[in-house]
Amino acid sequence: MLTVTGLTKTFQTSEGPAQAVKGVDFKISEGEFYTLLGPSGCGKTTTLRCIAGLEKPDDGQIKIEGRLVADPSRRMFIPTHERDIGMVFQSYAIWPHLDVFDNVGYPLKVRRRRQSKTEIEDRVIEALSLVGMEDLAHRPSTKLSGGQQQRVALARALIHRPKLLLLDEPLSNLDAKLREQMRIELEDMVSRIAITTLYVTHDQSEALSMSDRIAVMSEGLIVQEGTPREVYNQPNGNFVAAFLGNANFITAAVLKQSPNGIGHLKLNDEVGQLQLSLPDQFKTGEIVEIVVRPENIRVNQIQPLDLTNVLEGKIERIDFQGGQSEFFVRVGSLLLRSVVGGATDATPGAQTWLTIDANQCAVFTKKNIDNADAT
Amino acid sequence: MNAITNAVQRRCGELGVTGVFVLAFAIVAAVYFVSAPLVMMLASAFRGPDDLLPFESGADWTLDHFTEVYFNPLLYQETIPQTLSFGIGAVAVAFITAFTLAWLVERTDIPGRNIIFTFILFPLLIPTVILAIAWIFMFGPNAGWVNVAIRSFLNMDGSGPINIFTMGGLIVAQGASLTPFVFLLLAAALRSMNPSLEEASVASGASPLETFFKVTIPVLRPGILAPLILAGLIAIEQFELPLIIGMPARINVFSIRIFFELNPDDQLPIYGRAAALAIPFLFFGFALLLLYNYLVKQADSFVTVTGKGYRPARFALGKWKWPALAFATTYILFAALLPALVLIWISFFGYETPTLANLSKFSHSAYAELFQEQRFYSAVGNTFLVATLSASILVIIGAMISWIVVRSKMWGRNILDFFSFVSIGIPSVIAGFAAMILYLSIPIGIYGTVWVLVLAYCYRLAVTTRLSRAGLMQLHRELEEASYASGGSWLTTIRRVVLPLMGPSLMASFILLFIVGFREFTVPLILQSEENMVLSVILWRLFENGEAAKSAAVATLIMALVIPVIFFMRKIFLPKEDMR
Repeated sequence: MLTVTGLTKTFQTSEGPAQAVKGVDFKISEGEFYTLLGPSGCGKTTTLRCIAGLEKPDDGQIKIEGRLVADPSRRMFIPTHERDIGMVFQSYAIWPHLDVFDNVGYPLKVRRRRQSKTEIEDRVIEALSLVGMEDLAHRPSTKLSGGQQQRVALARALIHRPKLLLLDEPLSNLDAKLREQMRIELEDMVSRIAITTLYVTHDQSEALSMSDRIAVMSEGLIVQEGTPREVYNQPNGNFVAAFLGNANFITAAVLKQSPNGIGHLKLNDEVGQLQLSLPDQFKTGEIVEIVVRPENIRVNQIQPLDLTNVLEGKIERIDFQGGQSEFFVRVGSLLLRSVVGGATDATPGAQTWLTIDANQCAVFTKKNIDNADAT
Repeated sequence: MNAITNAVQRRCGELGVTGVFVLAFAIVAAVYFVSAPLVMMLASAFRGPDDLLPFESGADWTLDHFTEVYFNPLLYQETIPQTLSFGIGAVAVAFITAFTLAWLVERTDIPGRNIIFTFILFPLLIPTVILAIAWIFMFGPNAGWVNVAIRSFLNMDGSGPINIFTMGGLIVAQGASLTPFVFLLLAAALRSMNPSLEEASVASGASPLETFFKVTIPVLRPGILAPLILAGLIAIEQFELPLIIGMPARINVFSIRIFFELNPDDQLPIYGRAAALAIPFLFFGFALLLLYNYLVKQADSFVTVTGKGYRPARFALGKWKWPALAFATTYILFAALLPALVLIWISFFGYETPTLANLSKFSHSAYAELFQEQRFYSAVGNTFLVATLSASILVIIGAMISWIVVRSKMWGRNILDFFSFVSIGIPSVIAGFAAMILYLSIPIGIYGTVWVLVLAYCYRLAVTTRLSRAGLMQLHRELEEASYASGGSWLTTIRRVVLPLMGPSLMASFILLFIVGFREFTVPLILQSEENMVLSVILWRLFENGEAAKSAAVATLIMALVIPVIFFMRKIFLPKEDMR
């Protein structure tokens, strides 16, 4: 449906050229909800704007529905208005001189497929009812709240039934509560009409909850691509691990590799050992980094019978957060975080045993730490 | 906690004796500077007979001035139609030029944007008198350089083909001199437009041309109309070009008529008649101002949510690059470069034609003579003194007034705001004339001194209140409250927190007012005496007396002073290319 190959884009700035996108490849299949996730300046918005045709790429190819829309090597560039897309902007870009109805009807009017007035009217009302705005059709657009502007922007992006929907941080201008509500509405709507969607955001919870697949971007490149579960639980490096939420980083050395794929690892300072499934590429003696999410560490107040993957430590601090409690447990030189549901009767200073869920750990070679900058 | 809030509220409420005194002084000064001359002028319209000051003994109430002025058919046959065609024509020329330039500089990939921007500021900063004189040297029907060049190129005889001393010439000249101001306003409007609005249109399937007409223009409309109205207001009150170019062409616009009632060839000034003429002119100005205010409010309501400020992609000119560049270069050539070159040449070579052979006739005698004249030095001193003092007074009063308007809950603060704003609508001829009557009538002995100029210049309150109001609105109220909570009094807070934080906007309004004062010609011309002559007036008097080289030398010196300022102003006006 959408294929991006070798995309690069450099901007001339007052401080010299800045390469915003350094060679991005990805494919989105029909009906998929695909998210570009990354911190600001990672090139995600530039990538989206190249797909929309609002920026001209320096190199690479972009194909929408098998149609080549940009290929600088062949001096080929289809302008934005000839691409079959719908787009929602971060600022919504609702035209202040038109009312809600005319804003939404605009794409139909400029696309000149012979349509009668009533036909346009029907389509606009249909699009507006899709976003629950049919009652406000004749309100001046300067009198809309943020959430209403967002709905109008969405109706406008969908009205001409585009093949591809591009969403550029559409929720970032809303306040927290409304954002949550709009996220759910947006998700429902997109899955109902089954439109192929490219979503750009810096918010990992939006990305995790809405996407079929996520590409995590950093410094102009895709660092990891996968389903929300994959990138969350199996990050391929510190950057992805840290960017997608709280993570414990444990440095360890490989003791031995069992034939069944289970590796024995020894933690620094002799504070304990872990047995995890370990890919073959790791050699005995190699220093690795283990990433465990706080919710994958269980806190035991009494010593468990099975001591596999159990680390002994002392509770330093407990943060009660309403629905959950967060433990900070000292294990030798390590301070591990663990999240457990509800309240707890444990007290700081108490002895505790942490059980690490071996199936939810990601292991990678230690050198990756050098390019981790998102913590 | 509550105690602190209470303390803060009490402190805010209590300005202290000094605070009340300072603010009261600012209010009185503001009201005085704007309205005292005008009130005196209004009164004089109803006082007669002609040869007396309005409140001299022997003067009485009369309607004679109105009957004399308004039963004169010449007013309806010449003055009104000429003023209208002059104003509308000049605004049209200025607007078309300025919009094209602003769009090219702000939204396209035209090369040398910053250089173009810098040169456009030039005509804004030098006194209009200089431009007027330079254009006469260039386009005078007989000896104008451009005409001479065209004639020799086409082997023509006689005079022309271009004659600046016509309505057309006056309109183009006025339009060209208004262009930089309109350009700055339009460039700001173009820059503040959220580029996503246009991008959303192309993403909806509209072509770039369709987008321009269906989105760009309608969205910008209030932002475009407001500068248009302001330009109209400025055009009709213009005086320099109608005096220097329009008079030889027998064009009598309103401002010139008023001036001639004050300076008739053969008799004493007729104050009442000038005032009777000025009143409708003034109200017309105020009406335009109200329209402007309404449009600006509408433009503000068009401000929508903006994103993270994605730099708008510039429109690629492609093969249109050269025509665009030619357009910008032509404007710069005729409004900045050639006038400067012509004046520099004349200051050294007099009326000699600019050829290589004539280079040997170089002479700095004009400068030498100038530097021997006492009145030149006093003019330099007067110009700087008046510009600096009036700008300082206005900046301080303006800051206080805007504090009252933005922060205090004083009764009538909106009236005060409107009052200070209205001062834009006062034509400088009227300001000069009103100050003349006022200070002739009150016997404090400053008429004819530089001090009368300082006081007369101080009516331009709008510039500073607008700018410092914008600056103050950006200062979070809590910054002030934090000072009260730390135990600072109102005056301490203003002195140590508010004024320093407003520094940049105060500096900007000072520079702007200094330039306005430096360029001022009309007010000092009306109020001139041998003692309070300023540079622009000397320049014109020298030109009128046929001392071309000397007047060109004064112009050259003024330009030398102004050019460094241009680079400073550029920093204020030029947008920074934001990084993403």
